[in-house]
Amino acid sequence: MSLLAQYFVTGIATGSFLILATIGFSLTRQVEGFLNIAHAELLGVSAFITWGLNVLAGWPLLPSAAVAIVVTSVFGLVIARAVYDPIKKLGPAVLLITSVGVAYVIGGGVDAVVGTGIRTLDIPLATTYKFYGLRITNYQLMVIALAALTAVTLALFLNKTSTGLAIRAVAANPELAASRGVDVRKTSRATWLISSGLAGLAGVMLAMIATLSTDIAFHQILKILAVAILAGLGSLYSVILSGLIVGVAMDMSVYWIPAGYRPLIAFAIVIIVLLFRPQGLSGRKAA
Amino acid sequence: MLKRSIHRISLVAATIISGAATVTHADEVTVGVLVPLTGELGEFGEIVANAVELGVAQVNAAGGTSCGMLRTVVADTGGNPELGIREATKMIEAEGAVALLGPTSGVMVALVDMAKRTETVVISPYAGTITLNELGGDFVYRTVSSDLGDGAASGLWLTERGYRTVAFLVQNEESTISPAQVARTKLENAGIELTDYVIYNPGQPSYQAELISVLANEPDAIYLAGGQESGVTVIKEATAGGFEGEWLFTADLAVPEIFDAAGAELLNGRAYVEFADADNSLPEYKAFESLHMDATGGEPGPFSANSFDMVNLVALSLESSGECSGTGINQTIRDVADGGEAVSSFAEGKAALAEGKDINYEGASGPLSFDESGTVSGSYSIQAAQEGQWVNVRFYPASAFE
Repeated sequence: MSLLAQYFVTGIATGSFLILATIGFSLTRQVEGFLNIAHAELLGVSAFITWGLNVLAGWPLLPSAAVAIVVTSVFGLVIARAVYDPIKKLGPAVLLITSVGVAYVIGGGVDAVVGTGIRTLDIPLATTYKFYGLRITNYQLMVIALAALTAVTLALFLNKTSTGLAIRAVAANPELAASRGVDVRKTSRATWLISSGLAGLAGVMLAMIATLSTDIAFHQILKILAVAILAGLGSLYSVILSGLIVGVAMDMSVYWIPAGYRPLIAFAIVIIVLLFRPQGLSGRKAA
Repeated sequence: MLKRSIHRISLVAATIISGAATVTHADEVTVGVLVPLTGELGEFGEIVANAVELGVAQVNAAGGTSCGMLRTVVADTGGNPELGIREATKMIEAEGAVALLGPTSGVMVALVDMAKRTETVVISPYAGTITLNELGGDFVYRTVSSDLGDGAASGLWLTERGYRTVAFLVQNEESTISPAQVARTKLENAGIELTDYVIYNPGQPSYQAELISVLANEPDAIYLAGGQESGVTVIKEATAGGFEGEWLFTADLAVPEIFDAAGAELLNGRAYVEFADADNSLPEYKAFESLHMDATGGEPGPFSANSFDMVNLVALSLESSGECSGTGINQTIRDVADGGEAVSSFAEGKAALAEGKDINYEGASGPLSFDESGTVSGSYSIQAAQEGQWVNVRFYPASAFE
């Protein structure tokens, strides 16, 4: 039983990372109306900037992470302005395919700059704490805390600030929002900054817990898609629920079935939920 | 890092420069170097490419083959079969390559049909995949033994160490699962308890879920058959989770970079690595080692000797057949590798062939004799982590597995 509980605890940490990785992706999907496949590569950009500043330049982790998040945020906006905005009128399918191309370009750029091999941050080995026989590391606790903090901050931002309300208005109905005086272009830019910054934050977490290779960021896209699709379009709260469901289910499944099937579990849940609830957990249908 | 980058740039430059001259000169014969220069296996690709260039320089210094001087064209596969096929096609069709040297397991398997169809010899110095045990032998060769041999060597080491309990963590790839199965059988026959046999997917940020049961059972040792990216994370997470036993890694972790990435203090005195290795007591290896030191200032890396041997085999086959094509190489490669007068360099072999003798190329990586599948029987080394580096502690010659 304690083994099963251990899988549950690990699943919460896995789910929290998925929330961090997916929440920006879902925000873009809601406001811009397409699946930005290049989002996963932004995690890689942030992770390698953090690594470069922390290991090569010898900076402490916190300023390295802060710079990485800001640079990734601006980088995401620049890509949006240069690549996605000019073809926005061509529809979500074209934007999606274009984002695949953008992912390859970013991935190739990281490959060219970073080179071969593996990289790790210059940070201490994780410390393990035990509560009632259950293990959890300080890095896992940090991921869980950051996921919670991000969710609360984003919720406050979207509900209490004028920019946040504008983002929600554009996500719900861009034409109506524009007719009511919302600056759609400015709102779009704010969305890209926030969603790319969130990818940057997830990238920092990736750099802290994982061993970096140039393709590890792109490996996260399938799980990001699973969480986002399961969540549906309605609200960002459903991303939190969806991330936790996928994370806990993937990790707890290892108790019964071989670990090699973890990704299969993620998509099995998506398929089963969508069979009964095609609009996803959030309940709002795509336009 | 800088040195590596400069080297990679020079390889890319070599590719571009050689690519500019797409027509092979009459006095040249082209050999493609198809290796991963980027991605997780990039470290190995560089070692192979360097050793091939060293071999080519030796062949050309000895006056080249009767088909002309060897010319190389280099391309990066990133370890990706699709990219490997694309680059191989360019090498064969645009560059006129008669042989392709250096593909990794996945790329080798993808190239089998093309090698036979285009009559181009493909040789790998590190593709241990057991798929080639069935597919290789005609135009497809390797100067390294099959992965099954790695499994047997690992099993032998785990048994010798006297562990009572061992857990297996195996990356979900054919090249790691096959040897793990062989090692597992060896352990079961020896009565060693297998506490867990976990097959995991690479590319995850964390492997905590995979480690839960492994750590709960507190094995004496963990056999970790995985890549560098997953391996380092597993090592760190298992240590943080309280694992105090020993490790046995497979060849992907047999690189010095592991000590920086995982932390030498986690490995020293408790980690071992198994990999196919040249018999470095042989005079042929010592001669290669000395040559390598003179040319590069450093000791040969993993699969360096196997890579050097590929070039010599191709050059001697061209010299022997007199037919400057992949078919010529394919017809004679087994003959120059086995039977006749022992030679240990291209220059020696060329002289012996000129005298009308049969030759037996004794390679830097060991005596090379291809079986039906175009695979050589191999020897293996176990190295221990000591003071932040890998140090030889055990050598299993090919005869240990007979």
